[in-house]
Amino acid sequence: MFPLWLGMVPFAVAYAVTARAGGLTPLEIQLMSLTVFAGASQIAAAGLFVKGAAGVGIVLTTFLLNVRHVLYGLSLAKQLPLTPPQRTLAAQFLTDEAYGMVTVKGAEEPGGLSFAFLLGAELSLYTIWNASTLLGSLAGAVLPPPEQLGVGVIFPLAFLGLLVPLLVDRITLAVALTSGLVAWGLSHFLPSGLVILGSGVGGALLGAVLHTRLKLAGDSA
Amino acid sequence: MSVLLVILLMWAVTYPVRLLGLNLGRLQLPPFWLAFLKYVPVSVFAALVVPDIVTSPEWPRRMIAAVVGGLLMWRTRQLALGILVGFAAYWLARVAGL
Repeated sequence: MFPLWLGMVPFAVAYAVTARAGGLTPLEIQLMSLTVFAGASQIAAAGLFVKGAAGVGIVLTTFLLNVRHVLYGLSLAKQLPLTPPQRTLAAQFLTDEAYGMVTVKGAEEPGGLSFAFLLGAELSLYTIWNASTLLGSLAGAVLPPPEQLGVGVIFPLAFLGLLVPLLVDRITLAVALTSGLVAWGLSHFLPSGLVILGSGVGGALLGAVLHTRLKLAGDSA
Repeated sequence: MSVLLVILLMWAVTYPVRLLGLNLGRLQLPPFWLAFLKYVPVSVFAALVVPDIVTSPEWPRRMIAAVVGGLLMWRTRQLALGILVGFAAYWLARVAGL
């Protein structure tokens, strides 16, 4: 688990630094980490704040980025029966990392996967994320203004860090290339929130089409 | 829209989605939509990265940072290293006057 905890730190710092450049106060930066608690959408939102994007675009991008949590919930619910109050609590802290940690490590626990293990994993990640957010905010407060430091480049670098491990086959490469190029094209005449939504949905549809086609071809072969 | 409202709405579209999945343990989604959900992150991350590099006024520096950082992340799987060295590459390019 240690690498996972450590892996969150640069993301949280990147989020806090970008959000500061987007004009958010340390209190607002922390509030987002405490409530939303979703790394990718927080960094995306911070970047959109920097661009001066409309609030609606930021909220819709967040929604699009977080619909994948349905998958984690579905998968977790199949592995571990939870009572309604347990679901209500576990849902707040459910992230990619928690899901990965629980599905990989939970089964190795004596007695198997339990609610206690799930919540423990979730809360450990929540603590690290919020502490690192605070660290990023404090660092931002004592350093020179963001433009002088050139921290704008941290945003694409952080997302490259999320993107690169996902590029595992030809479909994911095709999806990333298409979505990236479409986004570049759209960015000339659409606001940034809509660019992300349009190319994000379009790329994922392309992926689903390619995936189901190849699957069918593989089954009939 | 105020920043506070945006943050609260972001929360309002995130928490229910997480809860929904946990409550739908018995549901079987059609394969097409399962695949769609699976490809959303790759698609959105690329849509965030590309315009932010190529439409930036300082795109040559950002391009260098992205190539150096991206290659390093791909070869080493070390995210923090990729960000740090990418940032250093950006500064080298900036100092060099690119």
